[in-house]
Amino acid sequence: MGYTRKLAIRNYVVEGFLLLASLLILLPLVILILGSFKTSAEVLSFSLSLPDKWQFSNYVRVFQEGGLSRAFLNSIWITGISSIINIVASSAASFILARRDTKVSNTIYMYFFMGLIAPMSIITTIRVVQGLGFYGSISSVILIYAALNTAFSVFLYSGFIKTIPKALDEVAFLEGASVFGVFFRIVTPLILPVNATVAIMVFMSVWNDITIPVYFLTNSSTWTMPLSIYNFYGKYSRDWNLIFANLVLTSLPVFILYLFGQKYIVSGLTAGAVKG
Amino acid sequence: MKRAKNLYSYYMVFPALLIYSVFFVIPAIAAFYYSFTDWRLDRMDLKFIGWDNFEKIFSDKTLILALKNTAIFAVVTVAGKNIIGLLLAVALNMRLKTKNLLRAIFYSPSILSILVISILFTPMLRTEGTINRVLEAVGLHSLSQAWLTNPSLVIWTIAIVSIWQSAGFQMAIYLAGLQSISQEYYEAAKIDGASSWKSFFKITLPLLLPAININLMLTLIGGLKVFSEVYVMTGGGPGNASQVVGTIILRSFGEGNWGLGTAVNTLLFVVVTIIAIPLLVFMRRKEVTE
Repeated sequence: MGYTRKLAIRNYVVEGFLLLASLLILLPLVILILGSFKTSAEVLSFSLSLPDKWQFSNYVRVFQEGGLSRAFLNSIWITGISSIINIVASSAASFILARRDTKVSNTIYMYFFMGLIAPMSIITTIRVVQGLGFYGSISSVILIYAALNTAFSVFLYSGFIKTIPKALDEVAFLEGASVFGVFFRIVTPLILPVNATVAIMVFMSVWNDITIPVYFLTNSSTWTMPLSIYNFYGKYSRDWNLIFANLVLTSLPVFILYLFGQKYIVSGLTAGAVKG
Repeated sequence: MKRAKNLYSYYMVFPALLIYSVFFVIPAIAAFYYSFTDWRLDRMDLKFIGWDNFEKIFSDKTLILALKNTAIFAVVTVAGKNIIGLLLAVALNMRLKTKNLLRAIFYSPSILSILVISILFTPMLRTEGTINRVLEAVGLHSLSQAWLTNPSLVIWTIAIVSIWQSAGFQMAIYLAGLQSISQEYYEAAKIDGASSWKSFFKITLPLLLPAININLMLTLIGGLKVFSEVYVMTGGGPGNASQVVGTIILRSFGEGNWGLGTAVNTLLFVVVTIIAIPLLVFMRRKEVTE
């Protein structure tokens, strides 16, 4: 009895402390959201006070003056296509690498794995893209993101595919299926959860990234949401209410994705990272 | 047996291999060569100049400071994100009523863009900003600081913002690791009369090694690659006080010193690889024994 009570008290203390600590996370975010509805004078206090009058017009202005609709479409396009390319190419590669236990396949696996640690070399990548003749274009950025995420995706897929019994493939081969058929009919349905994990992880990292756009998107018509916000932040440095509205808008898609994909993020990380 | 292997044709590896090689590996290898040249934006001819770029890096005060700042940032964030992440995970693995809500709250900043977090904190970290006002309101006047304009403090401030943002991500990985530890170990330890401290150090930590390892690797590599936080919050300033390797590369790129910028990149590449390979080998071994 005494022990359980002690445990209960300990839990209350921990819980109280954590609730207090969570304010450290919540309050800045609340300041951000409230600020996005204030006037430009009101927001300057950067405080928790409620807006006198909720300025929904901030969002309208941001969309019109910030050229956000274009940036939004660019971001959707870049993030969507690079995620799809990454998912198809990495899962197909991982399937073969996980199934073939040879020196060659292990070497290729390590070759991919190195990409998890090595930083990209930006200036020479620019040269390669220039050499191929599409520097500054959206398609160059799509391929770069697909390449940058290959290591992480192959790592997650290989770990998972190894847990799928090889006997399934063998039966299909006996019935005359091709490797292509086995991959799409048997393996792909089984790795759907990992696809979801990879899709969410790649989507979030690409959507939120600013480094690649800074170097590779030289023309404002190709800018992504983060880059146009960064530019907006420089131009409207006094209108924090508009800047905050802008920040909320760019965070909304990933937030919605997170709400729907929450369980895949954690389960995928567990499968890939912790078990590996 | 051999036939069965050949059924898995390598052509399905090619698309990934091609994209990854062209847009990641080839530039990385080319960088080694260009690091030893006087490559400039405005000149087509380039000359092999040996170690000159590297000598320049190590004799330039700003570049040395950038290396030092990168190291400080990496060490501080690795320690902060992992210690706080682990403590949060252990606490939120207890039977608490609000644990799901708390997990979501602590995780939430890590889904946002570094850009969003950096812009949000910039005005709050000013001398007259929210953070100092809060410190003064609770009587901690002495802690009130010029967070982003004090040259000896600025890189630490940026590191703390980074910890604020992503300790929750480390927490999620630690939580996943904790949940894969069987309760039986703890029950057995309790019967043997082990204290909770002892079970933590003798059971939890060793069994959490894979999660610790992946978290150390992620935070260390991420820390050495730091760029966006500094770029947005200070642009490397005040003066050059918060320059890091990432911002130096951008600066050399902007100035047209492509050979030098590539050399800085190569240096980062070598440092990251040397540090990360032992961790990597450890992880591979784990996988094999499984």
